[in-house]
Amino acid sequence: MYPSEIEGYVAPCTVQEATEAFAKWGEETHYIAGGQSLMQAVKSRMIRPRCLVDLQKIVSIRGLHEDGSGHRIGAMTRYCDIASSRRLGGAFAALVDAASHVGDRQVRHRGTIGGSLCWNYISACMPVSNLAIGSQMSLVSLSGATRELGVDAFLGAPMETSRDEGEILLSIKLPQPAGRAGSAYRKWSLLTDGLPVIGVAAFLVLDETDRCALARIAVTGLESGPTRVPAAERALLGLAGSDRAEIETLLKDSASSLQIHSDEAGDAEYRKVLFRQLSLEVVTMAFDRALGSKK
Amino acid sequence: MKAEVSITINGIAYSRTIPIRMLLVDFIRYEAGLTGTHVGCTFEGVCGACTVHLDGDAIKACLMLAVQADGRSVTTVEGLAKGNELHPLQVAFNQHHALQCGFCTSGMLMSSLDLIEKNPELSEETVRHGLVGNICRCAGYANIVDAILDVAQERGS
Amino acid sequence: MSGSNNKLKDKQADGIGARLPRKEDIPILRGEGHYFSDIAVERQLHVMFLRSVHSHARILSIDTSAASQMPGVVAVVTGAMLQDEILALPQASTSAGLPGRLPTFWPLAVDKVKFHGEPVAAVVAETPYLAEDALEGITVEYEPLPYVGDMEAALEPSSPLVHEDWKDNEIFRSNYQALRTADEHAAHIKEARRRIAEAPFVVKQRFRTHRCGVTALEPRGALAVWDNRDGLTIWMTTQRPHAQRACFADVLQLPLSKVRVITPRNQGGGFGMKASVYREPLLVAHLARCLRRPVRWLETREENLMSAGQERDQIHDLELAADAEGNLVALADRIVADAGDACLGGSWAFPIANVGGLRLPNAYEIPFCDIELRVAVTNKAALCGARGLGIYPGRFALERAIDMLSWKIGMEPAEFRRKNFITTFPARLSTGLGYSNGDFLKTFDRLIETVDIAAFRERQKEAWSQGRFLGLGIAVGAEVSGVDSLSYVSMMGTPSYASVEVRVDPEGHVQIFYGDGPSGQGEETTIAQVVAEELGIDSENVSIIVGDTQTSTFAPGTVASRGAAMVLPSVAMACRSLKKKIVRVLAHDVAIAADEDDFIFADGYVMHRGNSNIRLSFAELAFRIVMKPINLPPGDSGGLDERATFESTRGNICFGAHAAFLEVWPETGRVKIERYVTSDDAGVVVNPLIVEGQIQGGVVQGISNFFFEEYVYDNQGQQMTSTLEAYKIATAADVPRIEMYHDAGTPNPTNPLGTRGIGEGCIAPVPGALGNAISDALRPLGIEITDLPVRPPTLFRQIDASRQRKQQAS
Ligand SMILES: Cc1cc2nc3c(=O)[nH]c(=O)nc-3n(C[C@H](O)[C@H](O)[C@H](O)COP(=O)(O)OP(=O)(O)OC[C@H]3O[C@@H](n4cnc5c(N)ncnc54)[C@H](O)[C@@H]3O)c2cc1C
Ligand code: FES
Ligand code: FES
Repeated sequence: MYPSEIEGYVAPCTVQEATEAFAKWGEETHYIAGGQSLMQAVKSRMIRPRCLVDLQKIVSIRGLHEDGSGHRIGAMTRYCDIASSRRLGGAFAALVDAASHVGDRQVRHRGTIGGSLCWNYISACMPVSNLAIGSQMSLVSLSGATRELGVDAFLGAPMETSRDEGEILLSIKLPQPAGRAGSAYRKWSLLTDGLPVIGVAAFLVLDETDRCALARIAVTGLESGPTRVPAAERALLGLAGSDRAEIETLLKDSASSLQIHSDEAGDAEYRKVLFRQLSLEVVTMAFDRALGSKK
Repeated sequence: MKAEVSITINGIAYSRTIPIRMLLVDFIRYEAGLTGTHVGCTFEGVCGACTVHLDGDAIKACLMLAVQADGRSVTTVEGLAKGNELHPLQVAFNQHHALQCGFCTSGMLMSSLDLIEKNPELSEETVRHGLVGNICRCAGYANIVDAILDVAQERGS
Repeated sequence: MSGSNNKLKDKQADGIGARLPRKEDIPILRGEGHYFSDIAVERQLHVMFLRSVHSHARILSIDTSAASQMPGVVAVVTGAMLQDEILALPQASTSAGLPGRLPTFWPLAVDKVKFHGEPVAAVVAETPYLAEDALEGITVEYEPLPYVGDMEAALEPSSPLVHEDWKDNEIFRSNYQALRTADEHAAHIKEARRRIAEAPFVVKQRFRTHRCGVTALEPRGALAVWDNRDGLTIWMTTQRPHAQRACFADVLQLPLSKVRVITPRNQGGGFGMKASVYREPLLVAHLARCLRRPVRWLETREENLMSAGQERDQIHDLELAADAEGNLVALADRIVADAGDACLGGSWAFPIANVGGLRLPNAYEIPFCDIELRVAVTNKAALCGARGLGIYPGRFALERAIDMLSWKIGMEPAEFRRKNFITTFPARLSTGLGYSNGDFLKTFDRLIETVDIAAFRERQKEAWSQGRFLGLGIAVGAEVSGVDSLSYVSMMGTPSYASVEVRVDPEGHVQIFYGDGPSGQGEETTIAQVVAEELGIDSENVSIIVGDTQTSTFAPGTVASRGAAMVLPSVAMACRSLKKKIVRVLAHDVAIAADEDDFIFADGYVMHRGNSNIRLSFAELAFRIVMKPINLPPGDSGGLDERATFESTRGNICFGAHAAFLEVWPETGRVKIERYVTSDDAGVVVNPLIVEGQIQGGVVQGISNFFFEEYVYDNQGQQMTSTLEAYKIATAADVPRIEMYHDAGTPNPTNPLGTRGIGEGCIAPVPGALGNAISDALRPLGIEITDLPVRPPTLFRQIDASRQRKQQAS
């Protein structure tokens, strides 16, 4: 209910101050972004921070930026800003889909894309959408060294990432695909907009004949964490959006390639049913969006 | 362990020395004495009863530390009415019987306000989706939806 | 005595029947409500409970030494310490009327824990933050015992015992012998059995309902203050302040006069969850007395979800039989209910389940019933009242069986229901329950009129042919509308009359005092409307003082739809006595012979019907009688106040008929409610806005129970649903708008206003209507909904299995 005693709280204005504060306080120091996951853990005392380093005042890691090579989203960009972004259409629309349906308006006003990626909760929406899009993570270490990391390498099993102790996720790069691309994300939960039982994201790049030249399909809600579905990705190559029957079959087949667990919210069989349904929806939508971005 | 903060709530600055771990909702309720904001969760932050505005955005005051709101501006349900003049949402909630026990009401109002201010066009469906962060156990939602649509329509016209 | 406005309206505009926005809303809307957690007193201490991590375990040791040394800690207590200081429950004030076993318990576990979440120790500290810190300093050593979790297995002789001083786990058993002698009953059962055996149409089915409830948005809490002269004052969340008071007095061995219980002016919902006597407030009161400092406990949601408000898990093995013409001839049911540990003062779990059996035959003429109920204790939180007390499972089972039987016969279920409704009143069910009056057909036909079954069947056929599954489900409920003392004493051990005091001040303002503990039922408004109607004054000039044992005589509490059915009639009775007195004085003053029928009370005036010159404002008359009590009629004395007690006749009911239209998606098992309609007999409706609010809210709770909510215990008895993330309550986007009709009601002749209570029972038909609608949609697949909750994964599995069976068969 109430957090355990917290000794320090710092709200630096620069990344450097933040890493310095982290280094100074040492053990049990946590960055806090929107706090929409961290505060749950702090209030339930699963996490007992000695010090919290609040990232909310660091302007440089906030907001959406665009240049010729693609988009860059500051890690501290909130869900609501992504959801209302007019720039993130077509290729990156999966992020808008995901951000618009995370939790509720209050959560979306605080929660950040970076926080979600770093927390990598078992059924979170942002990690899987980024996985499908193939985003690039920019990180800075305690020593000030920066590195770039593909999302595949960044995300691990649920609640795990390859982020080092004290490392800050600065931004998420969305490389502009060569060709027309579309993406989409859909999830299913018992209650509207809740944490999903299963969520599926699709990212497609089309060739000049409107056929799929590259596909990335990823699922959330699995015990393995956000997971790509290579079988589906391969099978989609060369297909057009109008090849509905083939797409349906390949998605159905690829469902059986997934390692799916059973729990209270649904058994493995049902999760496969959801996968089939949702993946069909997102693939269809991704095709549509890719074609829409023709102009 | 302790920190000095100054948080503006409904236009009044509250400067206090508080434990770092104090939740914003406790600051509002017990330091500022504004008990209209309610608490219905342990740590999950699902019920929405604690919803307030932070610099104009609806947020859950139970999922934030008071120190994080230092220097920022909070609006609570007590800040809705202008003196004796109720906010149109407050009037509509009364007219439509949108509250029974009233425990969800302050959070509902603050979410509704956010919804109305940020969406020029609202329908029954968008209002219902806009309220998923607020549980009402008594009223069954329909009258709340009607009250909001009423105010939204009036604003639109 | 004269006035320019001599034309008085015959009816007070804000009186009975007015769609009056609620008086109580404005402070709440401004954030100025007075809820429990808004109350604070100087020097108050805070309690937090350490709760059992096991479902069933022996307590080997509790080490509180570290906790006691922690900052801000004032005391740490355990069950063992309490045993010499206070009495255990049950006590006289909290014994049930029914012959069941009552387990002994203290506010903190002694020797062993009986469910995951049972309070084991408590810390008192200067702030809640420090109290929570200190909980971590307590070490408890447990020896786990086998978890008793399955209610049927619990009743087997081989089961481990929940309460070790009992010989088995059966807390209660009933066969609903009613007023029959043993021989008569044996013959009755034999006849029921014979009829079932010989009937051409029989449905035999097991139904299961799950553990869920109507947890209120505001959790529980108690704040106790001790004073050497006055004794204890306790502010607490409760629907029944007087019942609580009696229990505090017993357990703490204080005279009643030294205990004052106050339900805060605003209460964030109750729904039965705040009707029982719980462990925690007893300890809070005790601590306040020991420590001589105010002590406050504010429940967390986790505590609430683990220990309060869990109801509805039952198994029904039901048989329902009809003759060739489609008349119901007999009903048999073997009911098993799960009482949890049953350590719940004033309710003890089993009377809740008992209601379900008693009311099982619902609105139908079923001459012979063989119903048996067995209630088992298990290692779960005590079964606790929830809106629709005890009947949600039974209504589901019977209404489903009715549908299954009608299709067997080949009748439209609505037609089958019409044919079998009770039509003559007073009626008595074979379980012994009486219904004083009503008109089920009228209210039911109002529903049927709006739903157009024939048109739907066309649409449904069309949809089926396209592989879509649309369903219509209808269900009804003849539900409680207040309870009479005779029934309540025998069931719950306390009376049930409604007693109010009405005081008029010299300015003509009216105050109503009574001792229930409401939680948002709109009582301030409806009472004001009744007073406005009776005394012809503006409802603005009426206020209520409720929930304080100091300012009220005994009151049973805000339960069982007593508000409209009993409290309002008692207000009317008191007002009518006052009217008599006012008229006596007025007639005396103007020297005419008259009684109250000769006068109109409206618009704040009292005026003679025949002579408009005889006209005085209500306020003037109040001043005259209260402040100038000279020259009064013989026998009258000064003052304008009156107490009235209304005792209900037996068997008052309200009636509701529901229809749900929905679609099932076979690919995913998802269900979408397209339309949900109710027709209710709420008798005379005092405020339509409030009645509709009750129905809208009640039905939505029923829907939420049906699809989303469930208290889950794993196979070790770990409660898996102690957050609102896990215990899923429907949001606005998950439920439909309810379409409501209440214009086909019948005034209730047994009370002076003709009202019926609607709040408690309006949830009851929901599981039947939804279960019937889903089964109806899936008729081509032969799927019957028999288990709750209905969730997409399970529904999908059923659909898939049925399709595979069909494929194999063809
Ligand atoms: C009611 C509710 C409903 C929700 N529903 C959903 C849902 O439907 N789908 C969904 O995906 N999620 C849901 N969430 C979780 C939500 O998405 C979280 O906001 C998100 O997971 C965390 O983002 P944050 O900014 O709040 O991060 P925080 O909670 O502040 O931080 C999370 C973790 O990331 C670390 N961190 C944060 N930012 C950085 C950074 N830039 N660099 C390094 N480390 C960092 C923190 O130290 C912490 O360990 C819900 C949460 C709530 C309360
Ligand atoms: S108390 Fe904040 S969401 Fe429930
Ligand atoms: S009015 Fe009671 S919870 Fe909404």
